[in-house]
Amino acid sequence: MTILETKKLEKHFDGVQAVDNLSIGIEKGEIAGIVGPNGSGKTTLINLLSGTLEIDAGAVIINGVQKFENINPWQISFYGITRTFQDVRLFEQMTVLDNILVVLTERNVFSSLFEKHKEYHLKKAEEVLQKVGLWKKKNQLAINLSYGQRKLLEIARTLAMDAEIYLFDEPFAGLFPEMVKIVSDVVKELKREGKTIILIEHNMELIRKLCDYLFVMDEGKLLAEGKPEKVLAKKEVIEAYLGK
Amino acid sequence: MGIIPQLILNSIIAGAIYSLVAIGFSLIYGATKFFNLAHGVMAAIGGYSVFYFAKTLGWDLWLAVSIGMLLAGLIGYGLDKIIYKPLRKRKASNMVLLVASLGAFTALQAIIAILFTSQFQTISGNIGAQNIYEIFGGVITQTQLIILISAITIMAGLALLLKYTMFGKAIKAISDDEEVSKIVGINTDKIIGYVFFIGSVIAGLAGILVGFDTGIKPTMGLSLLLKGVIASIVGGIGNIYGGVLGAFLLGFVENFGIWKISGEWKDAIAFGLLIVFLIFRPRGIINN
Repeated sequence: MTILETKKLEKHFDGVQAVDNLSIGIEKGEIAGIVGPNGSGKTTLINLLSGTLEIDAGAVIINGVQKFENINPWQISFYGITRTFQDVRLFEQMTVLDNILVVLTERNVFSSLFEKHKEYHLKKAEEVLQKVGLWKKKNQLAINLSYGQRKLLEIARTLAMDAEIYLFDEPFAGLFPEMVKIVSDVVKELKREGKTIILIEHNMELIRKLCDYLFVMDEGKLLAEGKPEKVLAKKEVIEAYLGK
Repeated sequence: MGIIPQLILNSIIAGAIYSLVAIGFSLIYGATKFFNLAHGVMAAIGGYSVFYFAKTLGWDLWLAVSIGMLLAGLIGYGLDKIIYKPLRKRKASNMVLLVASLGAFTALQAIIAILFTSQFQTISGNIGAQNIYEIFGGVITQTQLIILISAITIMAGLALLLKYTMFGKAIKAISDDEEVSKIVGINTDKIIGYVFFIGSVIAGLAGILVGFDTGIKPTMGLSLLLKGVIASIVGGIGNIYGGVLGAFLLGFVENFGIWKISGEWKDAIAFGLLIVFLIFRPRGIINN
């Protein structure tokens, strides 16, 4: 079943076509990699899918039924989508624990006025922070974490959201090997749980290891798609990365 | 009565009033990142509501105070919904929002002047303003004592709200990164609306308390706003604890500054403090 689709999606910035007539479909429960040279439109695509950028033309279809010609960022969590950012974005002035608790916050504003946090929230926060090895840092301000720890906290935040679709924008970039393993394990576990993951990554070894399906983008267009081994062996893909 | 204890008391009372304005201003700035100049007029709305309901219509004073605070809150909330939210949706710059808030400020102030004239009015009536107490060698009126107690209660209540409720955490999250807050499912428009309500209620209370202490006039919001903004910048813009610190520092500097000179220098001293901070510590006492 196709859980997420783009139909002739377009986005341009001052004459530069960042995403050009892009139509792709992502199957439920698979890890779909998106690769391409820098500036090929990968992050723009994630920004369009998460409502961070407005769509110029085309549509995004979620679960085969909900069609969006524009997405409001605060709606995406209700449709089971969550994301990380290429440049990590945390709630810097809050503690590690609060960064997670705020995600679990009561959505009804009046209830949230009186609600502190329940046992369930604390348990869930501990579970996701343990998973990324940050539970011991729970009382530290997010701004004081190292780069790698910040990335892990951002991933923990997505886990707390218990989404169906995870958009990970270069989650392994700049991580130490032991942190890469933590993130790989998280991604594999999500797949085991039947979640769908869209992974932007430059590390081809990780792409080969983790992804079920691969999309290659170049200059905003879809250059190739298919099983990673086959796609990465294609001449046009190699040329896009290494030049002719 | 000693001069120093009296100056200290005056400074604390001034700091308490400024902190009420600064808290609301900082709360709104933290969530929206623009200077909401219309915040000042909420104080006048509070003051004039009490004047109208208690003095003109003769309603119960505490009912009038409650209505005044509620009205200020609702108007603040309404401004966000009618003016600021549509502008934010169109991705208007902070400068556009500032100009819009200046327009709202001017319009509301003019409406107050049309309805109640520009004359200075008193609302001190029956809250016991004539009762005077001596504390540590200084003199304080009952009104000023009420100002102090109200300010401390509001500050403590807001601090608890921000620290211990999920609503408070959501406000902090929006202050940190509104876009990410949206992505994690926080309805930022709703929360910002409530922030405007709470901030405006507090500003309305500040106007009512100032009205009890010194009287009201339609332009009272501007001077209060300026002091609140100075306190916020000096304390660390967008941080309510910084706003409180800045407010009390401003109260002390102002009152001790005019110890040996005319009281007319008060505003010059306040802006002098602002300039010193802008040059040497532009991010304020609490450096975010």
